[in-house]
Amino acid sequence: MTLARRKLLQLVGLLGAPTVFLLVFFFGPLLIMLVYSFLTPGLYGGVDWIFSHLNYGRILGWADTRYEKFDPVFIAIFLRSLRLAALTVLASLLVCYPAAFWISRMRPGMRDFAIFLVTLPFFVSLIVRLFAWVLILRPTGFLNQGLMGLGLTGAPIEFLYTDFAVILGMTYVFIPFMFLPLYGSIEKLDMAQIEASSDLGATRFQTFRKVILPATLPGIVGGSVITFIPALGNFIVPSVLGGAKVLMIGNLIEQQFLSARNWPFGSALAMLVMSAVLILLIAQFRLSKKEAQA
Amino acid sequence: MTPFDTHPAGLLPAGSQDRTPMPSPLEIIDARKSFRTPEGGTMTALDGISLKLASAEFVTLLGPSGCGKTTLLRTISGFETLDAGEVLIDGSAVTQMPAHRRPVNTVFQRYALFGHMSVARNVGYALEIAGRDKREIRTRVGEMLELVGLAGMEKRSIQQLSGGQQQRVALARALAAKPKLLLLDEPLSALDKNLRQKMQQELKALQRELGIGFIFVTHDQEEALTMSDRIAVLAHGQIQQIGAPTELYRTPANLFTADFLGESNLLPVKVAGGRASLRDGQSFATEHRAGEATLLLRPEALSITPPEGHALSFTGTIRETYYTGTDHQIALETPAHGTLHALLRSGAALPGLGAEMTLHAPAQGLHLIDEAAP
Repeated sequence: MTLARRKLLQLVGLLGAPTVFLLVFFFGPLLIMLVYSFLTPGLYGGVDWIFSHLNYGRILGWADTRYEKFDPVFIAIFLRSLRLAALTVLASLLVCYPAAFWISRMRPGMRDFAIFLVTLPFFVSLIVRLFAWVLILRPTGFLNQGLMGLGLTGAPIEFLYTDFAVILGMTYVFIPFMFLPLYGSIEKLDMAQIEASSDLGATRFQTFRKVILPATLPGIVGGSVITFIPALGNFIVPSVLGGAKVLMIGNLIEQQFLSARNWPFGSALAMLVMSAVLILLIAQFRLSKKEAQA
Repeated sequence: MTPFDTHPAGLLPAGSQDRTPMPSPLEIIDARKSFRTPEGGTMTALDGISLKLASAEFVTLLGPSGCGKTTLLRTISGFETLDAGEVLIDGSAVTQMPAHRRPVNTVFQRYALFGHMSVARNVGYALEIAGRDKREIRTRVGEMLELVGLAGMEKRSIQQLSGGQQQRVALARALAAKPKLLLLDEPLSALDKNLRQKMQQELKALQRELGIGFIFVTHDQEEALTMSDRIAVLAHGQIQQIGAPTELYRTPANLFTADFLGESNLLPVKVAGGRASLRDGQSFATEHRAGEATLLLRPEALSITPPEGHALSFTGTIRETYYTGTDHQIALETPAHGTLHALLRSGAALPGLGAEMTLHAPAQGLHLIDEAAP
């Protein structure tokens, strides 16, 4: 057997199984979704094999005029999801950046323990943790009772079922996603560079802007992308903490598949979310490539 | 012609500018600093250090690790604050001034270059921070790169540079803002030997050319001897001795300096009645005060042929020889003084290992250290 053939066989042996797995269980369903998004919903669920572009039209501006007028509500929900996901990214960044900085300067033993604490919420079921937030935020919850007890407010404030609650919940859920990539780049930060900047006349703020921020930018971008993607499609947090008032695109997709049984429309919505994520990833890839060249 | 000749009499008040001496580039007065150790104790890093640069000198802080040399450098740059004492740069007190406002710049041990910036932005960083205009910065960066032998490398990224080139960029960056004083924290320790020797010569030449004070920290005594106008030997947070390299090498004030700088044979002597006696009964005339003292014999002071006049002689067995090209290093085991180290010019006919041999040293100009030998 020649060396080249042997190498090829090794490659097939190593990558064969994962490739088949991804083809069957990842690309397969994705392809089904793509095809369904161009079909007509069946009367009792399922699909009729009749081509239709109106699933996309309903979202983007050309509705089936026989049954309905175009309603921009879907675009509005999509834009709201983008906004809530972006605010979630911002909030987690504001929490995680200083925390990562602080933890990276701890003694090694303490540091490992602190990182363990950050990932600790993963050990408890997401649903349980979200209902704990309901107990905190509801009108008779701990937060309102505390505020009233301190005399800061007379009547309970509506925290639950607001954008605020959803952003708070998603930030809480996605903090580890943001923290770990951020920590990775902050830990690598050379303290001597900070001293060098100060030695060369920079104030703390100038050092942050010109040295620390650019040096940790890969972590900021990485953490933001990895937080933004699941936040955009999330439906558990808005359904528990947003109730019926804060509908995100993830809830809409879930409804189409499980309640409305309109699989083609649900698929079209899912494809829309996926394209948004893809565009984001391509932009990030381009950016990091340009940075690597510079 | 004195300055007075150029001015009409009476116009120049006494003690005017022309007559006041230039302020010292750096003066440290009784600096004290201690740290708390993780175990809860305290560690004294600076135990009353005073140091004054007479002019734009090249001063090296030399000592083993943990002697306080780096702490001293960091109190000058402003990264450590003193518990007590004063730091004056160019005549004005900067003891309470934060690092970014002090008119000194540092070349860091691992260079600490900004990896996300080009060579030009690294070198121009201090000027960019100071808000100078772009054209001025570009000109100055060009000059600085020329000065350190990296002309035309503005656009390179830091990762593309070799260790020696990074070293030069760090130097150019620290000099770009025209500091009153340049601090160098073991900057050559990461370079290989040839490059290090080249950089030593260049640094010394650069210091003379720029006419500013250099404070150089190192634990490498050879490096210190090569470059410095003066060396301050530090141990246990105190200056053991400060002086010109030749002074420190030839007439060390204490055992620590004698031992730390160069190779040395330290022999115990007793001084009485104007004569110093060795353990084996040999003696020589000295003006040293009576009592116990230590004789410093540098290896190169020993020779095979006896010098003119009175000499000390040491007979023993050759235990080790090393040939370095220019010299033979010999370890001679003597009955009275233990092992003596000698450095003999190559070309001398040497008996083999285990053979008996007699070495001589002139009995004049021997240096005695006022401290009993260990």
